[in-house]
Amino acid sequence: MAAKIHQMLHHHSSSKDSGAPSEPDSTSPFERQDSAMDRAREDEKRALAQWEDKQRPMSPGEVHMDPERKAVGHSSRTLRKQDFELIKTLGTGTFARVWLVRLLDDRKGAQDSVFALKILRKVDVIRLKQVEHVRNERNVLAAVAGHPFITTMVASFQDHDSLYMLLDYCPGGEVFSYLRRARRFNEPTSQFYAAEIVLILEYLHEKEGVAYRDLKPENILIDAEGHLKLVDFGFAKKVENRETYTLCGTPEYLAPEVIRNTGHGTAVDWWAFGILVYEFLVGQPPFWDQNPMKIYEQIVEGRLRFPSAMSSSARDLISGLCTVDTSKRLGNIQGGAQAVKSHPWFANIDWDQLYQRKVQGPIVPHLRGPADTRNFDEYEPESGEREAYGEELRAKWEGFFDDF
Amino acid sequence: MSLPSDYSNEISALNREIVKAQPADVLQFCANFFLRRLESQRAEFLLSQQHSSPKGRGMAESTFPGNNPFGTSPSGAFTTSGMHSLEEEEENDTIASPTSASFAPGIMDQAPSDSPRESTFGNFGWSAAAGSKPLSPPVFGAADKQSFPNNYNMNRRTSVSAESLNPTSSTHDNWTPPFHQKTPDQQSRLRAAVAGNFLFAPLDDDQSAQVLGALQEKPIPTKGIKVIQQGDVGDYFYVVENGSFDIYVNKSGKLESGPDGLGNRVGTVGPGGSFGELALMYNAPRAATVVSTEASTLWALDRVTFRRILMDSAFQRRRMYEGFLEEVQLLSSLTPYERSKIADALETKKYPAGTTIIREGDVGESFYILETGEAQVFKRGTDKPVKKYKKGDYFGELALLNDAPRAASVVSTTEVKVATLGKNGFQRLLGPVEGIMRRNDPSKASAMDSDAIDPLARK
Ligand SMILES: Nc1ncnc2c1ncn2[C@@H]1O[C@H](COP(=O)(O)OP(=O)(O)OP(=O)(O)O)[C@@H](O)[C@H]1O
Repeated sequence: MAAKIHQMLHHHSSSKDSGAPSEPDSTSPFERQDSAMDRAREDEKRALAQWEDKQRPMSPGEVHMDPERKAVGHSSRTLRKQDFELIKTLGTGTFARVWLVRLLDDRKGAQDSVFALKILRKVDVIRLKQVEHVRNERNVLAAVAGHPFITTMVASFQDHDSLYMLLDYCPGGEVFSYLRRARRFNEPTSQFYAAEIVLILEYLHEKEGVAYRDLKPENILIDAEGHLKLVDFGFAKKVENRETYTLCGTPEYLAPEVIRNTGHGTAVDWWAFGILVYEFLVGQPPFWDQNPMKIYEQIVEGRLRFPSAMSSSARDLISGLCTVDTSKRLGNIQGGAQAVKSHPWFANIDWDQLYQRKVQGPIVPHLRGPADTRNFDEYEPESGEREAYGEELRAKWEGFFDDF
Repeated sequence: MSLPSDYSNEISALNREIVKAQPADVLQFCANFFLRRLESQRAEFLLSQQHSSPKGRGMAESTFPGNNPFGTSPSGAFTTSGMHSLEEEEENDTIASPTSASFAPGIMDQAPSDSPRESTFGNFGWSAAAGSKPLSPPVFGAADKQSFPNNYNMNRRTSVSAESLNPTSSTHDNWTPPFHQKTPDQQSRLRAAVAGNFLFAPLDDDQSAQVLGALQEKPIPTKGIKVIQQGDVGDYFYVVENGSFDIYVNKSGKLESGPDGLGNRVGTVGPGGSFGELALMYNAPRAATVVSTEASTLWALDRVTFRRILMDSAFQRRRMYEGFLEEVQLLSSLTPYERSKIADALETKKYPAGTTIIREGDVGESFYILETGEAQVFKRGTDKPVKKYKKGDYFGELALLNDAPRAASVVSTTEVKVATLGKNGFQRLLGPVEGIMRRNDPSKASAMDSDAIDPLARK
């Protein structure tokens, strides 16, 4: 199922000569060289190297600004893959590979400028019919860049055959790994992580009109300070007041209305959030079977079973969220996210402090340095073969990637 | 006997490293690899110990986040009592897990708690899974030392998605579902064949007629034809009209070449049976190979057709409801977002001709929109109807506002379909209607003249 993308690693030197890019270039317009371009690129790289320094939580209003006017989230016409040294694969998805990269820059201090670079090959995106999803992903990430608990897309760019999203590196790895290792999270830990997720959903739904549609521990990373960062906006979509129909998500986390194809909206995230809290506390999601159809049958039926020792407020929260009827689902009913925040299970949360990242998280990764990858698994190197992004495909699709 | 999964995981990680590094000194390389693994496991363990120190405003208790939140054991181990409690609320009739058959009642009570893990959990998780042959053995991560009450797959889960669908009426192409004529007999057989399938169960009459109409006949001329192949991508769902098919599963996850390539025969399907329903959800690899054992006939339905039928009818219904709601004066200040929420919550009900939908004098609970058919309004003391309702008309909306008794009765004159929502439902979604009305004109809500809004309220 998981089609690997076949991006061959252009072996370019990671040594000092690249401060002034002078490699001979192809005819691609993206790689055109002239001195104005060089200067713009140098400016951009300087800004990148300094981005870390001025990080502080932006207010929801600041995050909501037009991406082209924010410090982060713009589409760059100057950055290129050659501006980065690819250090290690951090993760692979169905059609993307995410690399730990270092900004190639001579200035002192730049050695520490590491990012995560998500690379998607245009051919794969087209072949897997994900063009629309990838566009949504970029646009949503641009719109939300700067939110304290969403991975920041610093910039996006493209070249002849690939799309790039330059992201903040989250060295803590996936919540998934901690959860599986720990088997279950205790209540305070679950509450802390769940609460940060509530702030994300509140922002996405109520400020941006965006449904995220793929909530699960695999898509939640832990940053250097122990706070969450939501990644993978591949299915995120601005829905506003229109329902949408394309089935997407992860089997155990699909909401009943997605399975039934009756149209869905942001309420699917509250369902998935209930599943997530359950999985935090129990160690596995409530609806499961070897046979996916049996999972879906259980989901549309919506009968939850709880371990007897689960606290009654946790049960009440999960039951409210995992309600088949969307007109009764907590988070979707009157009050929206606020109704979730006022639930007794979150009684100990100081929501303002939390948004300001002033509450200490239960797991703070121990790191040797900014480029430490100990919290990530090893991934197979990419295979050498690659399908070409030929003229025919290009003629048909290139327009769709214009604003990348 | 198979090798322990922890061991296999380590070895395959080592294999990958070897391929990558191509070491000259293989033995030294392997030794280094295991040392590194040991080091990182110890580091992880020590790290987890550090997490257990209380800090951060009490967010972390005296336990690693991994502790069993329900158990009483301070050691943080996954205790017997914890396992027991997870099971005790499970209702056996609904457990679909392949291991469920082996959950002997009361087994935990018999297991001595100090016995070695294997025997304590003997009838659970691992050994049970091996005995009952799940389609693919669950794989545990290297760090999982204990068995799990359910053989949950501990791996990272991949996302799924179907082709992107846009409703017909929002685009310009005019899609109508394909229609293949069937005899009444065939129709009723098909209806019966899909009746038990949860994907078909919620369909209304129109949808179900469209879906049944879209099923296409597919003759299978001889025996030995592989209709679907394990591991291939799947786009069709099949119902057997006549003939018979064998189902094979190869443990490798896909059909292999060679005489044993099919794998084990796990079942047969005959007339009225069906297979391949996952293809109606999204494009996933087939879980089995299905081979004809004689000349047969199938009915086939593809995912895009199925999902478009569902989508188009849902889409049209929502737009229709939103349109109706726009006409409701009481709700004129709703934002489009709120209107779409109400449209989503409206429930469809059908009544035969002659049904009293609301009765004069009753306490009003719900509000109604007439979706199809006609109805008449009667008031006590007069024989003639005082008003007629047709498609798109609405009544009883004052029930959303107060508990005043219904001012008239509404009786269907034909078979009718109504969309309805109760006061509770409305308030749950948007809060009290008074608040919504006050948006328009703060003075209005209190001094409201109900006559102007609902003829039924007239005394
Ligand atoms: N900013 C980041 N910092 C560190 N690691 C990251 C970052 N972004 C992504 N990763 C890693 O890469 C993995 C894959 O990324 P992502 O989920 O965005 O790719 P995808 O192809 O869209 O995945 P999928 O197929 O699961 O939808 C993540 O699960 C995570 O482990």
